[in-house]
Amino acid sequence: MASPIIEVCDLTKEFRTFKRREGVRGAIQNLFVREQITIRAVDRISFSIEPGEMVGYIGANGAGKSTTIKMLTGILVPTSGSVVAAGFVPYRDRRRYTRHLGAVFGQRTQLWWDIAVIESFKLLKEIYEIPAADYLRRLDFFCEILNLRQYLHTPVRKLSLGERMRCDLAAALLHNPPLPFLDEPTVGLDVVAKDRIREFLKEVNRSQHTTVLLTTHDLSDIEELCHRILIIDRGRILFDGQLAEMKDRLARYNQVKFSLKDRTQVARLPRFAGNGIACERVDDLTYVMRFERSQHSSAEVIRHLVNSLLEVSDIFVEEEPIEDIVKRIYLGGGMG
Amino acid sequence: MKRHLRLFALYFAQYAKVRLAYKADFFIAFFSSMAATVIGFGFVLVLFTKTPQLQGWSFYEILFLYAFSLVPLGLFNVVSWNLYEFGDMYIIQGRFDRILLRPVNSLFQVIFEKFRIESLQEVVTGLAVIGICTQHLHLGWSLTDYGWFAIMVACGAVIYLSVFLILTSVAFWFEDRIGIVPPVFNMLTFGRYPLTIYSVFIQFMLSWVIPFAFASFYPTTHFLGRQELTGYFYLTPLVAAAFFTLAVAVWNRGVMNYSSTGS
Repeated sequence: MASPIIEVCDLTKEFRTFKRREGVRGAIQNLFVREQITIRAVDRISFSIEPGEMVGYIGANGAGKSTTIKMLTGILVPTSGSVVAAGFVPYRDRRRYTRHLGAVFGQRTQLWWDIAVIESFKLLKEIYEIPAADYLRRLDFFCEILNLRQYLHTPVRKLSLGERMRCDLAAALLHNPPLPFLDEPTVGLDVVAKDRIREFLKEVNRSQHTTVLLTTHDLSDIEELCHRILIIDRGRILFDGQLAEMKDRLARYNQVKFSLKDRTQVARLPRFAGNGIACERVDDLTYVMRFERSQHSSAEVIRHLVNSLLEVSDIFVEEEPIEDIVKRIYLGGGMG
Repeated sequence: MKRHLRLFALYFAQYAKVRLAYKADFFIAFFSSMAATVIGFGFVLVLFTKTPQLQGWSFYEILFLYAFSLVPLGLFNVVSWNLYEFGDMYIIQGRFDRILLRPVNSLFQVIFEKFRIESLQEVVTGLAVIGICTQHLHLGWSLTDYGWFAIMVACGAVIYLSVFLILTSVAFWFEDRIGIVPPVFNMLTFGRYPLTIYSVFIQFMLSWVIPFAFASFYPTTHFLGRQELTGYFYLTPLVAAAFFTLAVAVWNRGVMNYSSTGS
């Protein structure tokens, strides 16, 4: 196995800030006496990422995702612990390191606000010293796959969020960095735009063997793109592994969804509840039985259903949706 | 170095393009800048209708001093715009992230992302007035004098830049806007009159704490061949170099302390 492209060890970031009092009186008090508080945004996390991996980094708001990304990209200096990425210590070797990384921060554009997209690209070509032939080839490829051509001469401030995001992605990858960091690259985008960005990322990962670390709140991004996920919660890594493994380890429920043959069957339903099996209505004829995996097997529940006097037309077995698992983690249910 | 010159040219061209796209805005800025300069000179004229001399300085000598202070200041003003807004635009709004993600010196990017092009007017006007003064004062400059003049202008601009860079860097530690820049900015006007008219305390401040005197008064005494405080002239490059080194060090410390904003 090749050596890791990102190696993070006991990485910690603390922010010192001042407690602010409210109101005019508080503001005046703030001028004189300030109470200092330390917030540990990232707390001794460790992980490593191999070249070519696509890793999803998820966590609730304020869990420490962006802080981690900012340490990995060299924007923030860690309080303690170490990061080595592409052979560099990000904050120390910043100027050499930045040639190897690309970054998209979904909330904030990296482009120049007032000038046309193509002018921004040209400036980036000079900043990164991209050879003309490579520049033109990549620009062409990005225009094609991200469908940018019609926006190239528009100032960035006039683009819609989705358009801007696609331009931002192209800008971040124009110098072909082996290590793109994408912080919420699909935030606020419609389904078509999301799809385009995902296809693009897959293509770049496949053809250029880039290593992608992306944060997102949209778990379908993860399911589409990443084999591996890292879950951070209150500054600590809660899970690091394959997506399938996460479902296996952290899913608590399975569900059996079934459709009744006709409305006359509805009256017979109540007997299903209880015994650790919850029965919920989806619509008039569709119901779902949710049960703890540790207590019942799907086979057992289906047998129960078939043996009953209910006339059922269809049965589906479903895993607990990844959203539900993650929601439980965010709410503090943790590893259960 | 070559790469940075090239980038500088590109940044400047790019910014000029944007700026000139809003013609009305640019002309208003240009004329208000011009008006400020004209009013400044007008004040010197008015002053000398009341008195033939100021602390032993003649009208043309004061005019020379005033004009000289404008030239490095104009150069500094051309690049200073972003420094003035740095705390707001880059720290509080978090734009500094983007700067740190690029393989170009962070200070270079911040300084050269915006230009106050209309301030070139101050440089041109200042040079023109200096030209008139040298005629009237029969200074008869040699090539060496022109050389020193260029060096002093550059040093002056570096001194202004360094002082404001140090003040700007404070934003890395204190996010709250603190009003330290405007008072210092107002001190720039102290450099437009002979240092000797001020109290000893202010003379000391302007020489060694906020060394604006090295950006106008000390060079001017040399060029006018005046006898007060002449030795200081040769210290100017040293003062400029020392303050610039200090300013860059403070800036770099600040960058390490940058804490970005929430997501």
